[in-house]
Amino acid sequence: MRVAIVNYGMGNLASVCRALEYLGAATTIADHPAALSQCDRIVLPGVGAFGEGMARLQAGGFVEAICRLVKEDTRPLLGICLGMQMLAENGDEGGDTSGIGLIPGRVSRLDKLGCSLRVPHVGWNDIQFDATDPLFAQIPQKSDFYFVHGFAFNPESTGSVTARTDYGVPVVAAVRQGHVFGTQFHPEKSSKVGRRLLQNFLDYRPC
Amino acid sequence: MLKVRVIPTLLWKEFGLVKGVGFNSWRRVGPVLPAVKVYNARDVDELILVDITATPEGRRPDHESVADFASACAVPLTVGGGIQDLDSIVTLLHAGADKVAINTAAYQNPKVVNQAAARFGAQCIVGSIDVLRHDDGRLSCFSHCGTVDTLRDPVAWARELTDRGAGEILLTSIDRDGTMSGYDMDLVQRVVHAVDVPVIASGGAGNYEHMLAVVRDAGASAVAAASVFHFTERTPAEAKRALSAGGIAVRQELSIF
Amino acid sequence: MLKYCKHCVMPHTKPDLHLDGEGVCNACRAYEGRREVNWNQRRTELLEVLERFRGNASNWDCIVPVSGGKDSTYQVIRMLQLGMNPLCVTATTCDLSAIGRKNIENIKRFGVDYIEFSPNPVVRAKLNRIGLTEVGDISWPEHVGIFTIPVRAAVQFGIPLIVWGENSQNEYGGPAAAAQDSVLTRRWLEEFGGLLGLRVSDLVATYGIEQRHLIPYQYPEDEDLRRVGVTGLFLGYYLPWDGLSNALIAQANGFTTTEQAVEGSMVNYENLDNHQTGIHDYFKFLKFGFSRATDIACLHVRRGRITRQDALEIVRQRDGKFPWTYLGKALSDILEPLNMSIEEFVKVCDQFTNKKIFRRDGSGQLVKDRHGNLEKLNYDNP
Repeated sequence: MRVAIVNYGMGNLASVCRALEYLGAATTIADHPAALSQCDRIVLPGVGAFGEGMARLQAGGFVEAICRLVKEDTRPLLGICLGMQMLAENGDEGGDTSGIGLIPGRVSRLDKLGCSLRVPHVGWNDIQFDATDPLFAQIPQKSDFYFVHGFAFNPESTGSVTARTDYGVPVVAAVRQGHVFGTQFHPEKSSKVGRRLLQNFLDYRPC
Repeated sequence: MLKVRVIPTLLWKEFGLVKGVGFNSWRRVGPVLPAVKVYNARDVDELILVDITATPEGRRPDHESVADFASACAVPLTVGGGIQDLDSIVTLLHAGADKVAINTAAYQNPKVVNQAAARFGAQCIVGSIDVLRHDDGRLSCFSHCGTVDTLRDPVAWARELTDRGAGEILLTSIDRDGTMSGYDMDLVQRVVHAVDVPVIASGGAGNYEHMLAVVRDAGASAVAAASVFHFTERTPAEAKRALSAGGIAVRQELSIF
Repeated sequence: MLKYCKHCVMPHTKPDLHLDGEGVCNACRAYEGRREVNWNQRRTELLEVLERFRGNASNWDCIVPVSGGKDSTYQVIRMLQLGMNPLCVTATTCDLSAIGRKNIENIKRFGVDYIEFSPNPVVRAKLNRIGLTEVGDISWPEHVGIFTIPVRAAVQFGIPLIVWGENSQNEYGGPAAAAQDSVLTRRWLEEFGGLLGLRVSDLVATYGIEQRHLIPYQYPEDEDLRRVGVTGLFLGYYLPWDGLSNALIAQANGFTTTEQAVEGSMVNYENLDNHQTGIHDYFKFLKFGFSRATDIACLHVRRGRITRQDALEIVRQRDGKFPWTYLGKALSDILEPLNMSIEEFVKVCDQFTNKKIFRRDGSGQLVKDRHGNLEKLNYDNP
């Protein structure tokens, strides 16, 4: 099982690598799009701002490659945190910016979504997820995952939402469209349940 | 709902971990790596690692060592000490830090906070404030590892840091540090009420009641502690159980795996 | 770069060591301070404390934790000379050597009641491995046992006074000396135990050791300690402590040494009982840049027996060598109960090495000679 981790200059690659390798996967840091094709899975990590992230992703030629691999080759993809947010069509951070567009929806600041608690949302929060989603197999409901974000993804279709957390208002914790997955939280930083989720992503078989 | 975090703090000086009282008389307690490994094995909520000689020595963060420590650390890691510019932050994040804490640089060049938040996101930038309560009760912020009185008021400074984009405030009481006599409740409460970001209380924790009080009564979002975890039999896991017994939501250990 | 004491050869990386304005370390200063000490006064104090605790014929006067080494041999001799009836307690070491066994039997022949408590060796080997891989200290379970086992014995046998040898803190005589007879509560253990943060509770929660296998490592409850009034003192505070003097007295009383200086050390009269000591000492070198030869050289420089220059040369030759053997036992044999290959051992070594103090090549890799030995960046101040 070879996992390509997109390197566009933002994101804690080492943690993601280590977590996946701990689970037995072979990892490749993909510095350019060509490196993505030899892999069975793609992970799009992300720490930072939407605008900058998209700019770098575009400049690296990754947007086109990701879309092609995901749509044509049904390559499973997992976006983490900013990586998940960039799957959206649009984002507010850094001005109205286009995302990759794999999952229709918008990324907005938490307080604009009605949250009146302290922003950013930092720390461990429990999630309620869709029990049929293979990403959450063998994970107990209400498990705590590690969140650290100020913006959240609001998909157009609630059908894309596979997990929510409560932070004053419901906040989308995970999304899915076919074999494209996204988690707002950091599974690689979320202890045993996080590793279980990553294992599920590795085990996932697109039907 | 969001859980309150219990965060061990590791103070790193040159070759090893130190613990001081009132930011003085640093007592060396051993190398950093074993401590990182132990807290990692205990699966703590987060870990804070501060290099306390980088700024006094005018040196950049030691990202090589940070990379070694981060490779033994699967829990969220905040690294501080000597961060002067965006390049330092890039290398630290690349080395494995999840968040960075900026202290002295912000007084000298406040714009660095804006720039860092814009580039890396507010959630990645922790504004670290060291505060001394003078004998007359006055509070002022100190830079350079608690050696230079900036004469600034912590409440105003916390507001400015968060306005500039810091996503969290790490608030440390210099006079309480290492005394294990309790957090500076008044200080924490004032800063908590002044800002809209999470505040991590630090400096003075001596028992679980102190931690419960600073969360329940002063409104801290997280508690950081060093001496109490290094020099007494108290542990982060027990601290969380005590908080939970006091009605505070904390991350529970899952026994199913 | 390492900074060294101008007087001895200890580097400033040693925990709790400070170099003063003249570049002299606090251990050297403390030794100088010994000349000011009124040893007669201290001896009188010692006799007073011992008198307070000397019991009747129905119970022992004190517990003396004993390893069989030169210091504990000396301690037992002194206690008997001072008219005490000690219960000697040995917590069997991790990998007892033949010489170690001989020296334990030697002490028994002085005429003392003696308990040897040997913790489960299968569990002990697991703890050695955890200590080594998690905190870089193979002797971690022994450090715990040295405190818990005699203290448990004190509670069990209702003997309040424990007489230790030297206080590594070098600061005070111990809680028994305090007017209030302070008890060795849990807090004392945690503060002075120097356990590198790893706790017995971690073993169950994180490493899957069963609670029932950790009984010897459980410190007694505070209420039991208070009931018995368990307290302790350090002989090294009351009597001018010197390892070589202790060795001479021990030797005069049947103590056996090795033929040559022990691997990694510069003498033949200490650290003779545990084959794992070589690994323990080596990791000190990896973490801090000094090891057993430095420790001993410094002691003798302070006492004017060798010059600082001699010390530097001895350290260069013998300190911090890769521990292929210890007391003649091969590394692979020593690692066998830990289920660890030499290859894995080297990886653990590298992980705990403080790379900043050793020579590295252009790509940042540690430079090792053909025996696997590292080289420090500097062996003295520039």
